[in-house]
Amino acid sequence: MNGTPEIPLIRISRLSKSYFKGEVEIPALRDVTFAVNRGEIFSIVGKSGSGKSTLLNLIGGLDHATSGEIIFEERNLSRMKRAELALHRRFSVGMIFQSFNLIPSRTALENVSLALTFGGIPRRLRKKRSIELLDQVGLGARLTHKPSELSGGEAQRVAIARALANNPKVLLADEPTGNLDSITSEEIIALLLALNQEKGITILLVTHDQETAEKVSKAVIRLKDGEIVNR
Amino acid sequence: MNLLDMIILGFENLWRTKLRTTLTVIGVVVGIGALTSMISFGTGMQKNITDAFRNNDLFTSLTVTSEKIDIQQMMSGNFERDTIVEDAVPLTDSLVLAIQQIPGVEIAFPEVTFPAKLRLGNAETNTTVQAVPAQFGEFKPYNDLLGGSFFSHDSAAAAVIRWETLRRMKLVADDPENPVTLTAKDSLDGVKIIAIDSIVGKNINLISAVIHLPRMPLNPIRVMQVFEEDPFTEKVTPLRITGILKRSSPFTSNIFSGGILIPMKTADQIPRVSFETVLDFLSNSENRGKYQTIHVRVNEIKDLEPVRMKLVEMGVEVFTITDQFKELKRGFLIMDTILGAIGTIALFVASLGIINTMIMSILERTRDIGIMKAIGGAESDIRKIFFVEAASIGFLGALFGLILGWGVTRVANVVANTKLIPQGEAPIDLFYFPLWLILGAVAFSMVVSLAAGLYPAIRAARIDPVKALRHD
Repeated sequence: MNGTPEIPLIRISRLSKSYFKGEVEIPALRDVTFAVNRGEIFSIVGKSGSGKSTLLNLIGGLDHATSGEIIFEERNLSRMKRAELALHRRFSVGMIFQSFNLIPSRTALENVSLALTFGGIPRRLRKKRSIELLDQVGLGARLTHKPSELSGGEAQRVAIARALANNPKVLLADEPTGNLDSITSEEIIALLLALNQEKGITILLVTHDQETAEKVSKAVIRLKDGEIVNR
Repeated sequence: MNLLDMIILGFENLWRTKLRTTLTVIGVVVGIGALTSMISFGTGMQKNITDAFRNNDLFTSLTVTSEKIDIQQMMSGNFERDTIVEDAVPLTDSLVLAIQQIPGVEIAFPEVTFPAKLRLGNAETNTTVQAVPAQFGEFKPYNDLLGGSFFSHDSAAAAVIRWETLRRMKLVADDPENPVTLTAKDSLDGVKIIAIDSIVGKNINLISAVIHLPRMPLNPIRVMQVFEEDPFTEKVTPLRITGILKRSSPFTSNIFSGGILIPMKTADQIPRVSFETVLDFLSNSENRGKYQTIHVRVNEIKDLEPVRMKLVEMGVEVFTITDQFKELKRGFLIMDTILGAIGTIALFVASLGIINTMIMSILERTRDIGIMKAIGGAESDIRKIFFVEAASIGFLGALFGLILGWGVTRVANVVANTKLIPQGEAPIDLFYFPLWLILGAVAFSMVVSLAAGLYPAIRAARIDPVKALRHD
């Protein structure tokens, strides 16, 4: 492991998140505390509804916690304004989803390029950089295809290329193999491992698959009903 | 994200829903088309009248009259003493000379008009003869004739004839600038197109009636005696046509109504019944001035007010077109406002279309918006993307709306002219698209579109990305 393990990249302490259905409070996360070190692959395992996606959304700055703190590189996400959270999503994290979440009307190249656009990369550099990113995930030949013309594995590779666009500190992968067959799943996991080993990129992996988690991560937490049940 | 990126992204998004975008844009096109064609009509009218005034030097013209005449009283046939002020300054030759001496006055001359019959070959018509100084050939519009030239001196046996007068004599002088076409009815009536050269230089006979009357007696019985003998005789004066005036447009506000212009001194030599004597005759006044009206032209527009002040000091009534023009301008402002309001209503309806389209677009693209937020799009970026889309609809609408508005006015103009030209009018342009109207229409359309996009853009920007990503 490289980096500085004594200062974790992400420190989460006593994090809680509740949703409200009318007057009824539905807790999604309760008092969650853990830390993610730089350069590691950290796995969060749990069944559907265990609160793992909620946790990832909070770290990704898509949502605000009800209580507790997320300290990302010494900056407290809970105290960030919406515009600051947008910058956090843009430059600090790259998100990968189970359902890929590519914009259907845009080609692979355009999907990656859009992230670069938000990142303020000048127009003339964007295409070159997008091609490099897609090459890196092994999709150099599928640049002009739209998501509907790509296989699940290909679509997820585009999503990974897009997540890497603005050189994030951490990849937040929410069930990245959930919609893929086992062979393709292994390829995507291999790709994530390669990115971690070759580029030293920190990965926070959310999965329901204990086996995969234990295979790729030294650090695994298990969530049940919004609480960490063991380590 | 810079502006160009947003514009490209906005257009890409609009292009993806071509039909809906097109229909929304058509709404704006109709609104802007209505607005610009309406306002261009208002500005066209104003321009036509202003140009007509300017082309006739009316802004440097004053008309001097002797009395405060109560027009309404006169129209109702009341020539009693209270309608005509008795102690008014009489308009005489010496007054004309005195006015001529006022600094800033270019020329002053009395209005001399009388009815006469014109005969050119076999053609005849009745018209009003107007006597004007030869110097008038230097002024607009008399310095720019259809053909020939203005008479050179005040006692020349010459005349400048109006195009319309010739037409009444069934002679249509060819107009190289605005070629004349004859209708079938014209041909049946024997109207002919003739070359300008075949008129200029020809002699025309001016036949004036001479009346031999004593002053109208007060005793009604003696009035009968006056009419016992035929008091009228005809006097024929041959004059050489030196020039033809250009055709007037429906907007030409010419202070001279005469169908033929002749030199001042030549007019003095022609025996006639003048309108002055008829008025004298009616008002039965002994101490009237020689003239009813004196025309004054000043050197420049800035001389108008000082000269007017001087004339008022001299105790005469002064009328300038500028007074009326101010009123006219206010009228135009009201007209433009009403026309503009009608167009604005159309644009307002179109803006509802924009709001509808944008909201539909948000509903369809909720997930896309969530994705954009997840990969780093700030609320301000999303808002701007939607603003750019709304503004693009406004811009495209304005662009094609201007083309539509222009097209509509061209067609309307052709229709108007096909009605006017057979009546002997010169072709006119009823509509006017000044640069401010074009730029203003584009700006207005974009402002309205942005206003319409305001709510949808704010709504799009506030979309919760977590919910949006779960949205299908």
